[in-house]
This record gives sequence, structure tokens and C-alpha cells, in this order.
Amino acid sequence: MAPAPSIPVTVLTGYLGAGKTTLLNRILSENHGRKYAVIVNEFGEIGIDNDLVVDADEEVFEMNNGCICCTVRGDLIRIIEGLMKRKGGFDAIIIETTGLADPAPVAQTFFVDEEVRARVNLDAIVTVVDCRYVLARLADSHEAEEQIAFADVILLNKTDLVTGEQLQEVRRRIQAINSQARLHETLNCVVPLQEVLERGAFDLDRILKIEPNFLSEDDHEHDDSVASVSLTSSVPLRPERFIPWLQQLTMERGQDILRLKGILAFPAEEQRYVVQGVHMLIQGTYQRDWKPDEPRTSRLVFIGRNLDAAALRQGFEACAVPVS
Amino acid sequence: MLGAMNLAMNLAMNPKADTLVNRCGRRVSVGAEPTALLWLGDILLATLGDGSVRRLSRGTDTALWMAHRGAILSACLHPDRSSIITGGDDGAVQRVTVDGQVEQLGHFGRRWVEHLIASPSSGLIAAAAGREVAIWAKGAAEPSHSYTVGSSVGGLAFDGKGKRLGVAHYNGATLYYASSATGGQVALNWVGSHLACAMSPDGRYFITALQETGLHGWRLPERHDMRMPGYVAKTRSFSWDRRGRWLATGGARSAVLWPFEGKTGPMGRAPLLLAESRHAVVSRVAFHPREDILAIGYDDGAVLLSRPADDGALDVDLTGAPIKALSWNAQGTRLAWGDEDGRIGILDLEARMPLPEARP
Repeated sequence: MAPAPSIPVTVLTGYLGAGKTTLLNRILSENHGRKYAVIVNEFGEIGIDNDLVVDADEEVFEMNNGCICCTVRGDLIRIIEGLMKRKGGFDAIIIETTGLADPAPVAQTFFVDEEVRARVNLDAIVTVVDCRYVLARLADSHEAEEQIAFADVILLNKTDLVTGEQLQEVRRRIQAINSQARLHETLNCVVPLQEVLERGAFDLDRILKIEPNFLSEDDHEHDDSVASVSLTSSVPLRPERFIPWLQQLTMERGQDILRLKGILAFPAEEQRYVVQGVHMLIQGTYQRDWKPDEPRTSRLVFIGRNLDAAALRQGFEACAVPVS
Repeated sequence: MLGAMNLAMNLAMNPKADTLVNRCGRRVSVGAEPTALLWLGDILLATLGDGSVRRLSRGTDTALWMAHRGAILSACLHPDRSSIITGGDDGAVQRVTVDGQVEQLGHFGRRWVEHLIASPSSGLIAAAAGREVAIWAKGAAEPSHSYTVGSSVGGLAFDGKGKRLGVAHYNGATLYYASSATGGQVALNWVGSHLACAMSPDGRYFITALQETGLHGWRLPERHDMRMPGYVAKTRSFSWDRRGRWLATGGARSAVLWPFEGKTGPMGRAPLLLAESRHAVVSRVAFHPREDILAIGYDDGAVLLSRPADDGALDVDLTGAPIKALSWNAQGTRLAWGDEDGRIGILDLEARMPLPEARP
């Protein structure tokens, strides 16, 4: 039996007033020939009748699987199951979260529930940021920080309302939190849709490269408790050290690790090992052969809260001992 | 009828025997996932994911009526047993008669009507949308009263008399005397998200399926907890045998039957495992209403009849997509099943069954 094609899910996050609904309406009104099922929290702001719009209740609950930070959205599990009865009724799903939502339970829902995993795949988390207010939000809101930390794509919206200098400061702060997200400067969320939809950001096969952190070592200013830590090694990692280290780390520190992503070289292994995770949930696989001209550099990025960069680096480097 | 069934079971010993649907059944493609297959005598009404109700009776009759704008998410027989009730993602609860008259019984606005049950004994109907459970008194054309629980309803179940109602939700379940708007609430607490549920016909046990797989049960009225683990997928389907001695469940590679006779039910006892599949999970179970025969549907599209006494099995069909609905008519002369791709099969055990061809 051939597996049914998996339906991509895009999660839109962003603080109240940042422009999520503007982006959603742009996506829905563009002539792309695709039908979307849209799961919203604040119904009534969407002006498109063509697509299927579903109300969500944002019911977050803990899984009883021994993993303390493993929360999921029970309403999403139910809604996706119900939507699947309308086979062929839509091509993709967009989930709009409330401005105060922590993206983790949404993301984890797509890893934890087997039936959801079998039908749909989390494509990317897209966060819309209001350039004027984002720095103030980062100062007073946990959620604003998490929404940026979890993002695969960030729209720096309302760029016309800030000066060039202010925009640079916003970029710097956002990149210090999340060095891996793609940033787009927008007015009214105008962005080519292929930059937002069907990115495959959680697809291990599509982790192609990890952007080196643009910050130099001594440039770390700890404005935010959430930050990215990038680790690299040109010495191959020993899997018998690396895998247990990562498992132990995510078990002990999973609550603070929001996302992680890695491309790793193991000794005498022709294939790249890729890994990604959300909190304690990690997935890894051999992806493809290293190309002949590709440097076999291992890269691992953590985005998290109160990360101890020195300890992470030490643990990572201890996996990279040359085989004697 | 009994003769036909025994003949059918004996055919199982013949490895060359064809699946039973080819001998005394038929298949119909309806193009949408059936949420329920409901029998009114020997007429089958299929409620579908495209909002329609299809009537499948003898011959080529395939009448179609649109009951909902959107998908039908829940459906059951009306207590009068001459019509059905459907709940949709359009928020409506409809009564649909065998000749296609549609009458609205209630509306929940933009909320989805995800669960519907009815009791022929009490005449009560219960529907759940979000956190609200609405009750229709016997013969009522609109809801009589409603309850609100703390989180979205995961499942509903009545006892055999249709008086006690169990509502599964997050962190447990709540029992009500459904004819009363206020009285008789009992909280059953257990952490986790509780989904589909079942109540024993005598009202002494309430069982829920958990999000993390496995079942949780309460023995009543003491509220003793029972853990019933051992599943690989969420249990979506429960079926009591006609004497209330066994509860058959899906969610494992075998049909899992828990024993409920005796004072303590399944506590401390192992379940009976029937018709293990090497590569598929049981998605639906349905006990025959008059005999010790269990129909089992799997997520690879296999349907078979199983005899609990000796685990004998008879292949009925292999549709190729997960079985989503499975039901016997009240007399036990017809079995219907439907898969996710909209293939419906009907087995007619009154039909003459040709014997396998003799081989030279």
C-alpha cells in the first residue's frame, strides 16, 4: 500500500498586531491554484470564503510519556483528524496561533501524535514581527522571544515605520536569538510566497546547510536569555560519543533547548548525518553522501534559553577526538 | 443463518478459499470516507466525509442526500430505529429518514459536532461539540438541556438502559444521569487526554482510550482504577458482545478482548487476543448481535470474521485502505464495512453461498 501523500502544515506566529492576518490574507488571496485549510483562533478577520476555515480552541495538554516539557495541542490533533475526512478538499494547512502562544506545543504535536505524523508534516514556523515594537516586546514578553526562537522564517514587517538604524538593531537582536531563520524585510507582509510556504524546514532530507553564526565570538551581548549557540568541528565526531551526549543533553536540558539542528561528519562514514529537534524530541538520520569538494565539517546549532555556550562547546568537542 | 455462518467459518480452513465478499457480498465505491454505516433493517445508510448520506439497499439503489455542508463527523441510529442522526463540521445535528427527509435537531454554531450517541432504551440522544454535551429527551426535536465539561469532549457512551452517560475529556471523565439537567454528576479523574469511551451495559465499568495509547477503566460505583495497556495505536473502536461479557477493542495488531464477567472484571486478568496481523493494526471491531462472532477491520483494509472460541478466522475482504466503519444489522444477517478511500463492502449472509469449486 503506497503511503498517502503528506500534507504540509505552515504555522504562523507573531505578536498581536504584527501582521499575521495580513500575511494570511495575502497567502489566501494570491492566485496560486492551491486550496488551504486554515485553522484560526480569532475568526472573522479572514476575508476569503474559498478556503476552509476552522476555529481552534488552543487546548494545550501534557503528554503522559515521561517527558515533562512535552505539551501538545489536543485541539489540533482532533481538527486534523476531522479534516482528513474531507479527502481531496485541500492541499495544505495553515495554522494561525494567537499572539501570546508558545509555538512549542504546536510544533510538538506534529512529532508526538503518530496519526497526525502519518498524514501531515510540519513544514515551517513563520513569525511576523512588528519592527517598531519588537524590541519592547522582547523586553517584556517571554512569548515574543519564543516565537522568534522557534521560527524558520521571520518577516520583519512595517519596515517603513522605523529608521535604518533601528532596523539594523532589530536584525541584530533577532539574529542573536535565532541565527538560523531566514529574515525578510517587508511592508504589509509582501513577500514571495515560496519564501514562506513549502520550505521543508523540519524535513531532515532538506537540511542542506547551516548558516554560520554571523556574530564573532566576542560579539555576544546577552540582551536576551534566548540565544543561538553554533558549534563547528573539522575533526569528525565519534557517533558512539556524540549520540549519547546529545540524548543526555536533551533529556536534562530539553526544557531550555527550544530547537536544534545539525549536520555531522562521522569518521569513515560517506554520508552526512543530520539531526533536528524541538525541546526533548530529536530526530536524526543519514541523509546523503558528502560531495567530493564539500568540507567534512560538523555543525550543530542550539537555540535556547540560558544556554551555557562554554559547556556545550566542551561537550561537543569531547565527541571530536581523533581516532588514534 | 447459523448454518451459513458455520459454513463460512469452515471455509477458513481451506487456504484457497476466496474472500467472502466475492461469494456473497458486494462492493460499492462512494468516493468519500464513511464516518458511520448504519443499518435500518436490511437498508444501509452510509454517512460520508463529503456531507452526504448514501442509501445502499438491495439491487442498484444508491440514493444520495446532502445532509451537511462539510463533513459528517459523527452519526448514530435514532432511538426510533427508523431514521439516523448525523453531526457535521457545519455545526448541525440532523435527523435523516430512510427516504431522505432531513430535519434539523440542533445547531452548535461554528463548532464541530464530533460525537453523537442515542439509546433506544431511554430514547435519549447526546451530542458533543467542543466542551458542550447537549441532551435530547425522548422524542424531543430540540435539545432539552446541556452540560459543559472543562475541555473538549473526547467521547460519549451510554449504559445499556441509556440512563447513565459517560463523557470522556482531558484529565478524566464525568458521569451524568442524562435525563436530568443537574443531578448525579460523578467525576472520574485520571491524568491525560481521554478519547473514545465505552460503558458496560450494566453500568458497572467505564473505559476510556488514552492519547498515549492504552485504556483506562473505572469500576463503579467505587471508582477503582484499572489500567489496560498493551496497544500500539490509539483505540478508536469498542464493541461489547451481546451478553456484556467481553469488550473487544482496536488499537493493537490483534483484536484485544477484555473479560468482564465476574466481580472484578478484567482486573488482574489477561485479555484474549484474536486474529493477530503481522503488518496491520486493528482499526474497527464489531460483535455479531446474536452469535459469538467478532468482525474485525484493520488499517490495511483487511476485514475478517473471528470466532473467539478457537481464534478461527475467515477473510471477508481486503480493500487496501484503513477500515473506518464496520457494523452488523440488528438481525446479524448483514455486515457492512467502509474504508478511508470510500470503498464500502456489504456481506449478505442470507444469500446462497456457492461451495468452493472442486479441484481435479
